[in-house]
Amino acid sequence: MTSIGWTQKWTLRFAVVGMLFLALSGFEGLLMRTTSYDQDALHGMEVALNAIRPLAKEPTTAELFYSMLTAHPVVGIYGYVYLCVMGAFYFLVPFLLGKEIKHKKLVPVNFFLQIGGVMLCWVAGFFALFNALYTLYWPLPVSYDRVPLIGSILFVIGAAAIMVNILLFSYNIFSTVLSKNGNQPYSIWQFLRAALGISRLMKWLGKEDKKAPNLDYNGLPVFLVSVARGSVDTVINAIVLLTAGGLILVYGLAALFGSPLNPAVIDALIYKNWFWWGLDMVADGNVLIYTAGVWYLLIPLLVGRELFGANMVKTVIMVDLLVSLGVWSHHLLGDQPQPMWMRLLSGQFITWGEFFTMGLTIFASMMTIWLARPVKLTAPLKFVLGSIFGFIMGGTAGLIQANTGLNLVFHNTTWVVGLHAHTFLLTGVGTLIFGIIYALLPMLTKLEFRSTKLVDIHFWLWMVGATGMAYVSGRAGSLGMLRRTLYEGTTIYSPYLLIAIFFGIVLALGLVAFLVNFIYTLGWKAVLGLFLPEKWLEPKQSAAAAPAQAEIAET
Amino acid sequence: MHKQERNWLIVLVVVFLIFNIITLSTLVPWQEWLLWSKPTPSQQVKIEIANYTMQFPADPIQVKKGEYVEFIATSQDVTYGFGVFRQDGTMVFQMQVLPGHENKLLWKFDAAGNYTVRSTEYSGPRHSEMVYPDKILVTQ
Repeated sequence: MTSIGWTQKWTLRFAVVGMLFLALSGFEGLLMRTTSYDQDALHGMEVALNAIRPLAKEPTTAELFYSMLTAHPVVGIYGYVYLCVMGAFYFLVPFLLGKEIKHKKLVPVNFFLQIGGVMLCWVAGFFALFNALYTLYWPLPVSYDRVPLIGSILFVIGAAAIMVNILLFSYNIFSTVLSKNGNQPYSIWQFLRAALGISRLMKWLGKEDKKAPNLDYNGLPVFLVSVARGSVDTVINAIVLLTAGGLILVYGLAALFGSPLNPAVIDALIYKNWFWWGLDMVADGNVLIYTAGVWYLLIPLLVGRELFGANMVKTVIMVDLLVSLGVWSHHLLGDQPQPMWMRLLSGQFITWGEFFTMGLTIFASMMTIWLARPVKLTAPLKFVLGSIFGFIMGGTAGLIQANTGLNLVFHNTTWVVGLHAHTFLLTGVGTLIFGIIYALLPMLTKLEFRSTKLVDIHFWLWMVGATGMAYVSGRAGSLGMLRRTLYEGTTIYSPYLLIAIFFGIVLALGLVAFLVNFIYTLGWKAVLGLFLPEKWLEPKQSAAAAPAQAEIAET
Repeated sequence: MHKQERNWLIVLVVVFLIFNIITLSTLVPWQEWLLWSKPTPSQQVKIEIANYTMQFPADPIQVKKGEYVEFIATSQDVTYGFGVFRQDGTMVFQMQVLPGHENKLLWKFDAAGNYTVRSTEYSGPRHSEMVYPDKILVTQ
């Protein structure tokens, strides 16, 4: 019998549900690729599912495809990634600080509100066929001749719940770090100075204020500085998306009550700038810097050597904030009304700032491993190295498309979504999340993963599947295949779709290998025990007949 | 800063400079007229888009190879895309078409032939229907 604490149990709950969302998101991806390859392939399933959809007329395959495409990234990013990040941070932040979580009641609130928000967005797509895609380009989400009104309202309420939840999570993390019930109390001013890099900037200018000490040099772990820094982007992202969602909701409610508003009042270009400025904070702000923070934390722990170039790393964290605030225009390189100077400065040159910040981050990480030789290639270290590979590959693809010249032929192609976005999310972030789980599970449960062979199978299937799928999508994109497009009457991209389906299945088998090992290690009962009352799982067979497996009881 | 960090930073700066100098130069052919020379077009083609439909001034639009033509696309409702594709499906160029704005792009075709126009931005469930084969004819 293994006993685990309250925090550990919640972390496992976040991780398990996050993995279920990954499985759902991946299943949607396979369905959409199959439909793209052959629009009639899933007709039988569509007919069967239409029976439970409360729709006046039978939806077209295109309506189903685009509504699934709208829900897919919400499930993948805000379901899978965010739940896993929340679970990991709710364990790591208090653990590193030697404190309790400040507002424990917010932990289950975060858990259920995130799931509820994501599922509401999914319901808006599955049942109400909301299909404006996650980019919500104005005025499409309020064009009710194209997107269903009820679906639009449901989606933005779900999205708003997610954003409010993210703000609550960030508040709880900040409160925990700043709480004075531990050995390391920090004032909000000190913490923000660390998060914004002001103290480091002042030191660089030779003006360190001794009354507000530079936390970077006074014991605040680099990981926590990264969490704080990334959370600044997270908060901006949530607030901006809330304003956009609020706007869509106002239009939706006005239309619902018979007083439709004029969408032309809102300038599509200004809206697009505002929306991407906030949305981009997910990709170019918190993902990169949270990832960097986890590398800074895990790599020294895994190789038993202090981080190489810690001072440079702290500067990078500061600079990356300025970079992430200014890169959004690389999403508007195809918009000719966007001034050329903004496309060049924000879309191209500042975006290259990430080449420097991530380049230096990866260098510090790799040098730490190199200087610690001989290194035992443990499961988490393998996955950390895999994630570094993912960020190099996805980042390179991103820099190629974030170019005023090359974007003309790469914009909105499957290059963008395959070789850049999915590589970042699956090979980069996804692999890192597995690395965190492989590192944290023994800390959480005092159990080691039972099968090292399954860990290796998981690693290689995942890496080959994710890389192969991304490469094929990138190749098709470089030949002109558009994303967000269900091709009709052309088969020129069919071979690429078929190969991408194959690699998608390889990727899925990698996830299956992980889940089998996870359940094999914890035992079915322990996994179900994370969610069900213990009395429901009382053993009914004799102890002699029961299989030997780990059990987890909350302490 | 460690010596290795400094050397790595120099490598990053060199890669940054090489990549950006190359892609801003006329080695990327269209940068010559989009970024540097900005010539006066010999022809303007206005495309109006509304309700999933593109309206063209002629069928097909005739353009001479090597001459500058300015495509001006406007949308009456939502955001669309204006993309030109070769017969083998590869993309020649594209731009977003934002409602409430004139979306202009200058182009010079370097090969004669028929080109397909397609909306390159999602605009609703009927987006995939917005394909116009052989809509541009480039002559010698």
